[in-house]
Amino acid sequence: MTLRRRTARALRRRSLRSSGWVLPCALPCALAVFEAAPLSALHAQVRGDAPMAPAASIGPVTDAPTFSVLGVASLPDGSGNALAQRNDVWLGATQSMGRIGRVSVAALASGNLRLEDGMTGGAQSQGLLTLRARTRVGENRIWSAVSYGRSAVNGTPASGVYGEKALMSGMGSTPVLASPSPVDTTVTRRVDAGQLARAEAGLVTTYAGIEFAVGMSYERATRVTRQTMSVDVPRVSVSVPSNAGQVTSSSLRTVQRRDLATGIASVGFNTGQTQWLVSVTAPVASWLRSDALAPLPQAVPTVASLAVVQPVTGWLSLVGAAASNAATMQGAMLRDELRPRSTANFSPVVALGVRLSRLPWRDGDGTPTGILAFETRTLGTVDSLSVEHAQAEAPESDESGQSLVRDTLRVVLLVDAPRAESVELMGDATQWSITRMRRLTSGRWRAELKLPPGAHRLAVRADGGQWIAPPGLPIGNDEFGSAVGVLVVRR
Amino acid sequence: MTLSAALLIVAQIAAVSTPPTGDTIQVPQMRSQPVVTATTKRSPVAFDADRFDSLTANALRGLFDDAVELGLPVRPLVNRALEGAARRVPSERIVRVVREHAAALHHAKRALGDLSREDELEAAAIALRAGLDERAVQAMRTSRGRESVVVPLVVLTDLVRRGVPMANAQEAVARLARAPRSDDILLGLQATVAKNAQRGPGMALDALNRYVQATGVPPAVAAPISPDRKPVRPPEP
Repeated sequence: MTLRRRTARALRRRSLRSSGWVLPCALPCALAVFEAAPLSALHAQVRGDAPMAPAASIGPVTDAPTFSVLGVASLPDGSGNALAQRNDVWLGATQSMGRIGRVSVAALASGNLRLEDGMTGGAQSQGLLTLRARTRVGENRIWSAVSYGRSAVNGTPASGVYGEKALMSGMGSTPVLASPSPVDTTVTRRVDAGQLARAEAGLVTTYAGIEFAVGMSYERATRVTRQTMSVDVPRVSVSVPSNAGQVTSSSLRTVQRRDLATGIASVGFNTGQTQWLVSVTAPVASWLRSDALAPLPQAVPTVASLAVVQPVTGWLSLVGAAASNAATMQGAMLRDELRPRSTANFSPVVALGVRLSRLPWRDGDGTPTGILAFETRTLGTVDSLSVEHAQAEAPESDESGQSLVRDTLRVVLLVDAPRAESVELMGDATQWSITRMRRLTSGRWRAELKLPPGAHRLAVRADGGQWIAPPGLPIGNDEFGSAVGVLVVRR
Repeated sequence: MTLSAALLIVAQIAAVSTPPTGDTIQVPQMRSQPVVTATTKRSPVAFDADRFDSLTANALRGLFDDAVELGLPVRPLVNRALEGAARRVPSERIVRVVREHAAALHHAKRALGDLSREDELEAAAIALRAGLDERAVQAMRTSRGRESVVVPLVVLTDLVRRGVPMANAQEAVARLARAPRSDDILLGLQATVAKNAQRGPGMALDALNRYVQATGVPPAVAAPISPDRKPVRPPEP
């Protein structure tokens, strides 16, 4: 038996299989954390969550076609390890697939790309496809999604990655190293290939203009790791003869599987045109099954994140995001691949990018062209509007008995926009303040106005799209780019 | 800061910034109960100056005061300014639109007469800015007599904006405006044309002609019979 084979056998003997429950807070979780604690905005797309802000944030909530590009940068996490600072490019796109009954279906794709860097030679690519379904139940919306993704990491980690500490951990409680000080094993090349499947579901509700979303996901990630190791002067007295000499290289293959349940909660709201999303994700439980020599998984942290989207034009938005931990922001599936375990609980990550989406924001923006030509769905679609006049109310009077106002009439506006997530109106009646309409169970949107007789200008929009004159009403002025409707109230 | 505290702060921010949701929206009665943050010197109409920067607000106040001096209604101008602010257009454009609308109101008042109501002037100003001339507005007044010209003017503006030739639209509205219950007829015309205009201006005009004929309202005055003669050529100097 050659020295090389002896060493390989010795290493395999240490590879006691491990399996069992792992509590996320106490013990390290499995390798992949793709959606374990997603940065909400980035992963809103793949999660399929429906909050208002995330919708448009990076992932679409309204099923509108979008394409997003973000640069992701890790901030120093305090560990002093340069490997922890990496820059990625994140891509995301979505496309509506139509409706099946009352359920709208959308396809989503996202990818993460990190080019080979000079220090570690590590490169990573990752892709995920998601099929998402959403529907409305009363005032709430529910969503569900299934995803499948693949990931590959190819790199040369630093020598300390699988040093004594890692091996000791891999052997459980059995100490195998005579001296912890020198590094005796060097991983010269490592290739990770992973797969992930996930199912998720959640609920979104709106209260006081704020959208609250809660959801759960269950996912299974598997990873196969092939690594080439060089062993210098093995001092493992138990398994390897002392005269073993120097082993130049050894190839190992390890398999891991991780099942993970995650909870997510988010809050989305708008301030003017700016969209915000604050979310928190936390692992609930995970199950591990892996070779002892498999790379050590990192603990899945609870992550708080913030995403901001500022529209620039009708089809271009600036996107900013920040998360309290780097773990979830970058190529996620093989998160712990090429860097040593980080004990930092706070390793912030920031992202900045652009989102291309047909969300008409500026008036008269028109139909986008070029890269957005594939987009077919028009936001802000209001199918029809009907007006119901009610009886005139008694004139109000002040203390002196003088009539203060002319007769007012109750006017009920019904907007037929069953596919819209939200419908808003503004006009003379609201002093041009944006006012949400209320959704009826029939899919129509209702607002009741008290108006004096005369002509009142009015504009509506759906899903935060372009302001339009309500269909069916006479068209009025359009000095500001898009026409308003004129509602004539008669006695 | 605990998570609940953070969420509470976010909720408070959003509650301030998000649009209100309500079932009933009442037009503020500015004349009686002004919810005023700033008023002009002479105008009794409330003007929420907080929505504008100070320079724009001052410029608008000046325009409103000028409108009062000219006897023009201020509320349409205030609404224009608020609309511009709501749409987040640049301040210069807001001021320009308000100024242009004030001029249109002035022309409308000249066309409709000094006794015209505010909503009539507003409808006429919108019509003028849509490309109609003062004679067309005067024709509406003539055809309606003392009745309100709001509906005819609104319908006429809508027809023109939907691509109906101005002469055809004007003739049709003036003709229908004389009929009893003409407001309903006119609004029906508007709905018919709007429905057919989606298929092109030609279809809109065709729908207009068919609708007018179906109402059976005779033309106001018989069209002058044109003598089929060649035009007289002026003598050369």
